[in-house]
Amino acid sequence: MTNDLIERYIYAATKRLPKKIRSDVSDELRTIIDDMLTERCANTTPQEKDIRIVLTELGTPQELYEQYNPDSDKCLIGSPYYSTYKYVLKIVLICTCAGITLAMIISTLVNALNGTETSYASSSVILLRDFFVNLFTSLPSAIVWAFAFVTILFAIFYHKNIKIDNTGNLDSLPSVPVKKEKISKVETIASIAITIAFLSVFLICPQVLCMITTKTNTFIPIFNLDTIHSTWYIIIMFGVLGIIRESVKLIEKRYNKKVMITSVITNVLSAVLAVIWLAGENILNSDFVNYTSELFADSDKISAIFANFHLFFMGCILLALAIDTLDAVVKTLKSQNKI
Amino acid sequence: MNHDDIVAGLVQELRRGNLILLVLNRLQKPMYGYNLVKELQAHDIPIEANTLYPLMRRLESQGLLTSEWETSEAKPRKYYKTTADGLIVLNKTTEQWKAFTQNVEKLLSEGENQND
Repeated sequence: MTNDLIERYIYAATKRLPKKIRSDVSDELRTIIDDMLTERCANTTPQEKDIRIVLTELGTPQELYEQYNPDSDKCLIGSPYYSTYKYVLKIVLICTCAGITLAMIISTLVNALNGTETSYASSSVILLRDFFVNLFTSLPSAIVWAFAFVTILFAIFYHKNIKIDNTGNLDSLPSVPVKKEKISKVETIASIAITIAFLSVFLICPQVLCMITTKTNTFIPIFNLDTIHSTWYIIIMFGVLGIIRESVKLIEKRYNKKVMITSVITNVLSAVLAVIWLAGENILNSDFVNYTSELFADSDKISAIFANFHLFFMGCILLALAIDTLDAVVKTLKSQNKI
Repeated sequence: MNHDDIVAGLVQELRRGNLILLVLNRLQKPMYGYNLVKELQAHDIPIEANTLYPLMRRLESQGLLTSEWETSEAKPRKYYKTTADGLIVLNKTTEQWKAFTQNVEKLLSEGENQND
């Protein structure tokens, strides 16, 4: 019975230790306990009380485990990565929450426009209810995903000792940014949030981008949903490029060569993706094209715009990318000649 | 302000660094863990068995100690001994320790005089 207590104690202290040292540590603990008991009881047989006192003196099994565990000083994400991890995690979570909320507002509003409710009072209550239902079903999983992604990324950085900043070298310390070259954090975070909203809308519910028919009061999606679903990887790549571009801005905090080069590269790639994605034949919903050409039958110009809505949409994207690129290049060049 | 807690923490920090030095020094002749605990306690260096054993294991994994189970006696025991590398580390660190304590003592006694 008394030996049983010692064995249970040793088992509790060693069960989580690496297998290769477990039996050795167990043997060692057995001799320590035996030595301590011998010292305490001299030549008499140790009683259970003595064993209890000795084991209490030796510490709790958990304390022993921590002392013996060769990994006890290791952690998932330690210094110096922890502070950067916290900063990045905060921004990623803000962007995710804002992006998903925005996407849910769009989706709820569009779904409501398609609804058949006639009373404004009841529809606004339903609208609000739908919004919160949508939000609370998608937000938790999005937050968990974002949290897991950032945490795993930084755990890899920490354990592989990947350098993420190079301020160790005095010569590479950046100069203090002057006001005009600073990048607004709010704008950058807003861009990321909008990108996430764009991703969510296109990946989860592209049908919310639709037109309401006045005749039958049904909705016609603008895009061909099958094509959108089958080109999910282009949408994700498009979103990731945008997030990379904005993340570099967040890290650098100012317009410089690095920001300019990443902006140019990611924007050119995004433009190529947009062309590949939207220039295809089947991107528009044929019902939408038919309906609009009927609707604007008296005006060729307007119906032509709707028939080529994908090209119009592509033009908007390309224009936005061009403006962003130009903005980064001009501001960088200006800050280089700031003297 | 609880001075006792802060003092206890500081004393523990002071001991922790010197413990390795003492272990390497004592284990120039082979000893088993509990024997070492008793020997240090006899010299007024209190140490818990649950601190010393894992410490010796760490020093062994660093190559400063070597261990062997002695089974010829009535009770099997694990004997530890300082290795050749351990001796080099011990000698170099002992020199540093002596110089360091001299300097610390000098500064501390100067500080005491200022208070007079």
